[in-house]
Amino acid sequence: GGGGAVELVAARVPVLADHPLVRGPRFKKLKIGAGHRLDVKASGVFVLGIGHGNKLLTDLHNCHLTKVYTVGGLFGKATDDFSDTGNLVEKTTFDHITREKLERILAVIQGTNQKALLTYSNIDMKTQEAYELAVKGLIRPMGKSPPIITAVRCLQFALPEFQLEIHCLHETQQYLRKMVHEIGLELKSSAVCTRVRRTRDGVFTVDDALPRTQWNLQSIQEAIRNCQLKVETELEKTLG
Amino acid sequence: RRGLCGAAGPPSTRQLREAEEAAPVFQYAGKAARRKDRVFVWGFSYSGALGVPSFVRPDEGWKKPRRIQTTPYRLETEEKISSAACGYGFTLLASNTRDITKVWGMGLNKDSQLGFQRSRRDQTKGYEYVLEPSPIPLPLEKPQQTRVLQVSCGRAHSLVLTDSEGVFTMGNNSYGQCGRKVVEDEIYSGSHLIHQLKEFDSRVVQVVCGQDHSLFRTKKGTVYACGWGADGQTGLGHYNITSVPTKLHGDIAGVNIIQVSSYGDCCLAVSDEGDVFGWGNSEYLQLASVTETTQVNVPRHLPFKIGKVKEAACGGTGNVVLTEEGNVFVWGYGILGKGPNLIETAVPEMIPPSLFGQSDFSPDIRVAHVRCGLSQFAALTNRGELFVWGKNLRGCLGTGRMEDQYFPWRVTVPGEVVDVACGVDHMVSMVRSFT
Repeated sequence: GGGGAVELVAARVPVLADHPLVRGPRFKKLKIGAGHRLDVKASGVFVLGIGHGNKLLTDLHNCHLTKVYTVGGLFGKATDDFSDTGNLVEKTTFDHITREKLERILAVIQGTNQKALLTYSNIDMKTQEAYELAVKGLIRPMGKSPPIITAVRCLQFALPEFQLEIHCLHETQQYLRKMVHEIGLELKSSAVCTRVRRTRDGVFTVDDALPRTQWNLQSIQEAIRNCQLKVETELEKTLG
Repeated sequence: RRGLCGAAGPPSTRQLREAEEAAPVFQYAGKAARRKDRVFVWGFSYSGALGVPSFVRPDEGWKKPRRIQTTPYRLETEEKISSAACGYGFTLLASNTRDITKVWGMGLNKDSQLGFQRSRRDQTKGYEYVLEPSPIPLPLEKPQQTRVLQVSCGRAHSLVLTDSEGVFTMGNNSYGQCGRKVVEDEIYSGSHLIHQLKEFDSRVVQVVCGQDHSLFRTKKGTVYACGWGADGQTGLGHYNITSVPTKLHGDIAGVNIIQVSSYGDCCLAVSDEGDVFGWGNSEYLQLASVTETTQVNVPRHLPFKIGKVKEAACGGTGNVVLTEEGNVFVWGYGILGKGPNLIETAVPEMIPPSLFGQSDFSPDIRVAHVRCGLSQFAALTNRGELFVWGKNLRGCLGTGRMEDQYFPWRVTVPGEVVDVACGVDHMVSMVRSFT
């Protein structure tokens, strides 16, 4: 035996058994569920749930939160599927349309939908409870109902184009396109929908959403972590 | 067999674009397109007050009569209607035109509250029920110059205000409410008598009918009254009948009154400084803030600390006021609009503006006018929306349902509501179309 103490130094060497090409991909099956539908011609926030998040998706659906869309429209044309890519049905004049007239129509849409909000919420109108909820503006249908618009306003108006911000419940994007068409009819002209973009789905806004360039594991994990608290508070507030 | 011309498959993008550019352009609104003025009615129809004869006597034998019109129904009128009033089972519509026919009436006519409507079957008798808007012949001196400014209806009498010929009254006069001497055993049915009132200290600018009394407001801000006074509703210091319009004093002496209102037996007046004065029936706590007595026969100042009042409206058992800020306050008895728990209050309570559509999204919605029927209330916002609440007597609220409404509820009207007149069991609204 020679001189001083023998120090054991751990050296790490790569093991072939750990290599992904030997072991296989880390995630073979991922349970991914989709939230509220977004059709092919629309864009915007689309909520997905991964693994255990699918249960949260069902809970979020039962919260019946409003979604916000930015809808772009064009006066002067009417097509068969209400969007600018459909077959032309009719062309009309539109120079008599003013922002004031448009806002009047929007006020009426909001008004009739407010009534629908109260009617489909299944609350007995004769109770004091119904009055208090109506004052706070917390009445909304907590079950199945036809599409309801809770708020509309005109963001931009430059003939022939215009842009609306729509807050709605239980809607489909085709319903919003049909609404643009009907606004055109009410104004004694015609309108088609050029774009539908969802800017908010319940608690998820455009800022939380990941663009195409960030569809990788690290960003997804970070996004889930950031939204966790928001989702939990909302679920607790609504479902108790 | 297809010829050699024509495309083989679906049209290309260029062809679609060219076809689109070549398509004809349709014009639905011309240069002279204006917003149209319309009248909408709803409520109980059998009295003829809605002015739609097919509701009472259907055109086809197999059709059923419509007793109640629960949602607003458009009434075709020949002229633009500038003023409307609902009485107890009848309606008056007035236009401020210079044409000979300025006022139309429909509904109950048993006391000639719609003037004499000559029957076609018997030229000597008049109709007791008028089913469609029929012209009321006013004995004007200058029929092609005078304009009708406003109309008002009570239980069985009506008042018509003109710009230069004073006030015309017709209908029941058993309590002197038409401003002329009570004739014993007078038969009012089929009467041709229309009385003219011109003796006031200045030009009359507003006429109001209570149940069996009449109020007149002049340009100088004074109030005159005549008619039944058993509840003190004439405000003249006694409980007797008055058959000549007499000036009111009390707390409104020397005060410039800018608006009066009445429909039942209680009356309210608003001064230019925003104070509220009341007199008449107080059995339902309408005036309980100043006195415990149930009848007040002299105008009393109501010391409410709710801000400057802009407009007031009196119902049968409840009252409503609108302040300068656009807030709505209710008091009295009945369905007041704050849920089923608030049945009576002597002190005005505010209805939260969120019930009229105000929210963070639309913060500048304000109530512009308030109106009262016998047991229902109506409010008009600055966006032209109509909100109603109260007892839904024979569908008079126009909500489409028959239940009472305990808080303000939007009525869907296809247009911007400019004014509304409330009656006992029906309502009339003047609406402007959107485009």
